[in-house]
Amino acid sequence: MSYWTGIATQVGIYLIAVLGLSVLCGFTGMFSMGHAGFMAIGAYTSALLSIHLSMPIWVSVLCGTLLATLIGTLVSLPTLKLRDDYFLIVTLGVGEGIRLVIQNLADLTGGARGLTSIPGGVTIWGVLVIAVLAVVFIKLFLSTKFGRNCIAVREEELAAKSVGINIFRYKLLAMVISCALCGLAGGLLAHYLNYLTPTLFNMTKSEELIIPVILGGRGSLTGTIVAGLLLLPLPELLRFGSAQEWRMVIYGLLVVLVITFRPSGLMGNKELTLQNLKKFLAGFFLKNRGQAPDGKGDSV
Amino acid sequence: MSGQQAYALEITDVCKNFSGIQASKDINIRVKEGEIYGIIGPNGAGKTTLFNLITGVYAPTSGSIRFLGTEIAGKPTHEISQMGIARTFQNIRLFGDLTVYQNVLTAYQHNLTYSFLDGILRTKKFRQQEKKAEEVCLDVLRRIGLYDLRDQHASKLPYGQQRRLEIVRAIVTGAKLLLLDEPAAGMNEEESLELSQIIKDIRKDYHVTIVIIDHHMDVIMDVCEQITVINFGEMLTTGTAEEIQSNQAVIDAYLGVNDDAED
Amino acid sequence: MFLQQLINGISVGSVYALLAVGYALIYSLLNFTNFAHAITVTIAAFGCYWFQALITPNLPASLLAGILVAIVMGIFIELFAYRPLLVKKARRLYLMIVGLGVSILCENLMIIVFTGRVRVYPEGFPTDSINIFGASVGLIDLIILVVSVLALVCVELYIEKTRTGLAIRSSAFNLEATALMGVNTNRLILTVFIIAGLLAGIAGTLLGAKYTTYTSLGTYMTNKAFIAAVVGGLGSLPGAVLGALLLGITESFVSAYISTSFRDLFAYIILIVMLLIRPSGLMGKADGDKA
Repeated sequence: MSYWTGIATQVGIYLIAVLGLSVLCGFTGMFSMGHAGFMAIGAYTSALLSIHLSMPIWVSVLCGTLLATLIGTLVSLPTLKLRDDYFLIVTLGVGEGIRLVIQNLADLTGGARGLTSIPGGVTIWGVLVIAVLAVVFIKLFLSTKFGRNCIAVREEELAAKSVGINIFRYKLLAMVISCALCGLAGGLLAHYLNYLTPTLFNMTKSEELIIPVILGGRGSLTGTIVAGLLLLPLPELLRFGSAQEWRMVIYGLLVVLVITFRPSGLMGNKELTLQNLKKFLAGFFLKNRGQAPDGKGDSV
Repeated sequence: MSGQQAYALEITDVCKNFSGIQASKDINIRVKEGEIYGIIGPNGAGKTTLFNLITGVYAPTSGSIRFLGTEIAGKPTHEISQMGIARTFQNIRLFGDLTVYQNVLTAYQHNLTYSFLDGILRTKKFRQQEKKAEEVCLDVLRRIGLYDLRDQHASKLPYGQQRRLEIVRAIVTGAKLLLLDEPAAGMNEEESLELSQIIKDIRKDYHVTIVIIDHHMDVIMDVCEQITVINFGEMLTTGTAEEIQSNQAVIDAYLGVNDDAED
Repeated sequence: MFLQQLINGISVGSVYALLAVGYALIYSLLNFTNFAHAITVTIAAFGCYWFQALITPNLPASLLAGILVAIVMGIFIELFAYRPLLVKKARRLYLMIVGLGVSILCENLMIIVFTGRVRVYPEGFPTDSINIFGASVGLIDLIILVVSVLALVCVELYIEKTRTGLAIRSSAFNLEATALMGVNTNRLILTVFIIAGLLAGIAGTLLGAKYTTYTSLGTYMTNKAFIAAVVGGLGSLPGAVLGALLLGITESFVSAYISTSFRDLFAYIILIVMLLIRPSGLMGKADGDKA
């Protein structure tokens, strides 16, 4: 596999995880700092099953996905009825906790040294197909009542309750979808890299997964995908000096600026479609009033 | 039993305390099915608290709230909504980033019974129900006069239109009882008149019972058959518009408050 | 052994308390969690280190310098990150995301500037131990305990006895009403950030002196402190202190009798168990009666 195909494959894998987070954070409005941990569960489960039980990788990845979903959902249950600070800190704690457990179960997971000789078999085409399927799935999901109810939860919880939406249920649904996609991405990563270390799934990784969602637009699937495609290759491309740290500095700065000046993200909740593109270009060239496309005034 | 069935809403001896402060005290209200019922009182009299009690935002400290004969006090908000009570908010709570149409379509959700898989696989059941949803939502928007604004962002509508959208959103839930929290707030005389007509039309077209809170007398006096006056969380009196207007206690309460407001 | 671990735990707990009180103060006023709190801790530890390395190895002077840096940082964060959003009355969630953004930004900036190396203060606290009822207790642990308690008592007195303290207490009850009574809430919010920065500065410099100074010191410690604040009841100052002491003591015993590597895991387990059985915390007021 060439260098560029390798990067493309990794970008595809991480994009699947980012898509999961876009359902949770972008569309349902719950910010998690621990989804790298759920990726880790998917990755290690799948790797161990395929090593020790010689499972075919598609079965082991499926098992990893299920376990990640199960654990993610169970630990988040107590926080779903509480305010979002609690959800954030619990996911952060769970993410770190998962990493600590993996690190300390050295006999099983190889501990900090890592787990090697994981069976391969994940190709760029496989990843591409799964990523496209994930996009299609979310697109379909968003135009059902289930997707709409998640968005309503993000927009105004009390109003959502008042039209009969069981907030708890839809937060749970968003959590299930996001954990499943992260677990899936983790499994694919394991069988693509052929090795795993706990540091692949640290808190910085969780931050990196959520940043495309914040920057791309909290309610825009295409915005998130575009931001993901732009940002996800950077860790691989910028492998010199302190480029990684500078990258995170810039991410941090962008997050502050975007939230301050355009809290719904660069794309807001607009989708990138041909029609919107035309409208935007027409507005750009005609610029009759010199008005910004529309800054979101956010009230409580 | 048959006597009870005639009431859409029965509030009996309801009290609510917030850490020692009594926000509602001994509230007794009976709203007949199909009635338009007004609750008036000065700011801070506990009107919105009452709506919050009915919709399950708060659980009453004591007392009973029955909706079409079923006890609902203390039930979660979404369940009460699913039983058929919808409301609007004094401090407007729309899904601000969504369009007018999306706001309404979202509110229709309880009438959509398809499963998650139906939705993802786009089964016939899904397509039929979504088509029906679109028809119903657009129809209500047309009747309330928001059809032309359906693709506007809710947060960008003028104030009065936002209040109307809240009413539309409440209607499409399929509710049997609408609670309107200060629907005329911020409206001029002409708009209030229009609103009175809309409220009467809604009752006729959708066969709903309506409870309105306001401290603007004009709309309430115009449309309500029964009116309850509350002040400092307690009921002053109940009666028709004429009875209320000639009641000395009510006049005193309102004059007292006006004095405060002028200070 | 037991007594030694107990004192050790209380000492660590008192540092958690400094940080947890910072969280609780800001939370009680503004109802959001300041996720940029960690930065003030780390920068204090480094400020103290560089003061010693570059200017003079005088310990008290360097501690003060570190604390001052933390206070300035706290003011900076409030003015440039939170103020613009507070003015716009932005959603609470946005404040938290901005806090995270600031902490990502600053932590990586510090890695670039200070490198990932672990630093040891040229001039630290004495490393002697003294004997209390047969338990050998590090002098540094006692110093940390005494300084932390003094700081907490001062903050408590400030809030209970001064006019500004009264305004803070009434704002915690209702910020908007306090503003209507003519209190300058912007200045009040800034004051709270200064107090939180001061406490974080004390914690950071003490931690730097006890252990070493490294760029993720603040994040590591404030995560624990946040758990302490939640366990005690978010927004409650006595709750924060209680939660912090409980957490410190528990950790001390877990690492002594079970395993050091499970100490951190334990903190998160406590958090989840607490959320399951009593989400409002030990001394918190029940959340939710606000429409």
